[in-house]
Amino acid sequence: MPFMEFVNFYLMPGIVLGSIYALGAVGITLVFGILRFAHLAHGDLATLGAFAALGVVTIFGVSPWVALPVAMVVCAFMAIGIDKLFYDYLSERPKIIVVMSSLGIALMLRAVVQVVWGVDTETYTRGIVRPDDYWGIRIRDREIYTIIAMFVIVGVLWAFLQKTKWGKAMRAMSDNPDLALLSGVDNRKITMLTWGIVGILCAASGFFLGINTELKPLMGWTMLLPMFAAAILGGVGRVEGAVIGGLIVGIAEETSVLFIPGEYKAAMAFAILLLILLVRPTGLLKGKVL
Amino acid sequence: MLKKIALAAGLFSATALASNAVQADVKVGLLGGISGPIAAMAPPMLDSAKLAIQQVNEQGGILGGQKLEAVVGDSACNPQNGVDSATKLVNIEQVAGLIGPHCSGSVLAVANSVTVPAGITLITPSGTSPEITGLEDKGQVFRTVPSDDFQGRSLARTLLNLGTKKVAVAYLNNDYGSGLANAFKVEFEANGGEIAGYSAHEEGKASYRSNLAELSRGGADTLVIFDYGDGTGLTILRQALENGFFTNFVGGDGMKSDAIIRELGAENLTTFIASSPVGEKSNSLELFNEAYKSVGGNPDAIFVSNSYDAAFLMALALEKAGGEAAKVSEAMAAVSNGQGEAVLPGEWKKAVELIAAGKDIDYKGASGDLNFDNAGDVPGSYGLFKVEGDAFALQQALN
Repeated sequence: MPFMEFVNFYLMPGIVLGSIYALGAVGITLVFGILRFAHLAHGDLATLGAFAALGVVTIFGVSPWVALPVAMVVCAFMAIGIDKLFYDYLSERPKIIVVMSSLGIALMLRAVVQVVWGVDTETYTRGIVRPDDYWGIRIRDREIYTIIAMFVIVGVLWAFLQKTKWGKAMRAMSDNPDLALLSGVDNRKITMLTWGIVGILCAASGFFLGINTELKPLMGWTMLLPMFAAAILGGVGRVEGAVIGGLIVGIAEETSVLFIPGEYKAAMAFAILLLILLVRPTGLLKGKVL
Repeated sequence: MLKKIALAAGLFSATALASNAVQADVKVGLLGGISGPIAAMAPPMLDSAKLAIQQVNEQGGILGGQKLEAVVGDSACNPQNGVDSATKLVNIEQVAGLIGPHCSGSVLAVANSVTVPAGITLITPSGTSPEITGLEDKGQVFRTVPSDDFQGRSLARTLLNLGTKKVAVAYLNNDYGSGLANAFKVEFEANGGEIAGYSAHEEGKASYRSNLAELSRGGADTLVIFDYGDGTGLTILRQALENGFFTNFVGGDGMKSDAIIRELGAENLTTFIASSPVGEKSNSLELFNEAYKSVGGNPDAIFVSNSYDAAFLMALALEKAGGEAAKVSEAMAAVSNGQGEAVLPGEWKKAVELIAAGKDIDYKGASGDLNFDNAGDVPGSYGLFKVEGDAFALQQALN
């Protein structure tokens, strides 16, 4: 197989897919690291973000790129609201109860999407876009933007966590919530801040999935397993690890077709997840062991 | 004294309840893929089934004037949701028969784990997998749509006649996709065609470009897609078009979805054709088309005539069986076996009178004569559709 064919049809789609996974995985890893539970409603929150952007596009007739920040705000408030209404109420209970309640939230969010936007498959823009040729690499504008946006969003987040007071407080709470509390970190505020950021990341991952494919009520839910695999692969609590994990899972899924029959592609994320848990439970970058 | 009054009151209310139960509506389940990968196809299908039920109620009702009521359930076009909804319909709603579910995987799962054990008869308007023929169903599973064994074969022969000798096949890895793909492959190869790529894919992935790249390496310029047009079929078709992996595209009935035209645009679909069952021109079809148009439906939508027939047949079978669930399957086979006085769509009153007089009836459906064979299957005919304007238009009949 010619090298360019590998780049165009296996590697590039893998990187684009990996970028979408990475955005989701960063959110998952934040919840995992700071709030210490597996957030199963993550995929459906991403679905809500994607459809919120669609709502803005259909009502105001603007470009989807303009709708993205609106969707981010909607999702951020949605995430904070869900935390206030449900997770906060359960925060003193065993974590497994919070995890199960997040499954319930996932179903509720999906139902909201189906009630408001219906069950049909939708797209932001009608028609098809053929890729442009850049020195032999065939890639669409929206795919370039997806990859760039992922690095920008994650870069800003990383800088926020490293440099600002609030970011440091988040990391402190991730390391040890009780100690952070004693040092004057307001756990409640940090939890809200975390959910706001998670909402923004969810909206971004849902939006980029939607703009690269279609919008379906189940779109986020089916992304949940690869996103979790990416978060755990990178090391729980490690933002840069989630990006690496996302890209590896995405590329592995796309290139797996070269070695195994296509119908087993979906099992790739699962295989990676199992392997990493067996061989290196802390993930590639040393993360938390749950 | 008080005790006696209480007892009498208790007895009275018990009898009142019992008589209520007799007077209650006759319920049938209407199970369809409302959400999921056939979401755009399902609403017209449910509407046409409801039309049949409306006609029954307008023309005097069922079983001596009772109202026939359809309880709608969502199978989401997958086995798990299908079984969940069917269990609810059978156990909680106590339906006398089940119209649907829509997708093959749901039909197989629902029949195996819900309706056959419960002794409820099921008639699906669009479960097309060849697997359904061989189901151990005690004769309780029927369909008003022909098996994909026919569709796959006739599509293969038609493509060869049109001069397409080399194709790649991408199919959804479920009962519908694999059944249709297998029938197609066998016939295509037996008649001298070459399958240059043959691969299944899972639902719900964001990218199928590597799958498509693998398929295109065989050198075929025609891609045959057996999938759902609201689900992964749309993603695959889009990515194949955008990347120029293939030039011609052929779909099965699942791909004849308006979602494809709506999302991809008719101008991009000039090389796309899809096969689907078509009703033969008949009085029955005319009657149905008129009735369906009068309630605001589009009779050209896919599977609407099959869906109407399924509902009407269920009503006929219930009437003939006297409402006894155990006798419905026998009655279903009897009301459409080619013998007896013809009953056309909408002729409910006439059918009831004939059944009351003890005469045999033979339902001539909108989607065909629907004479069931021993497996509850019907023969049928297919058409090949192309995109014209913003809708599918018949290009030619399949042989």
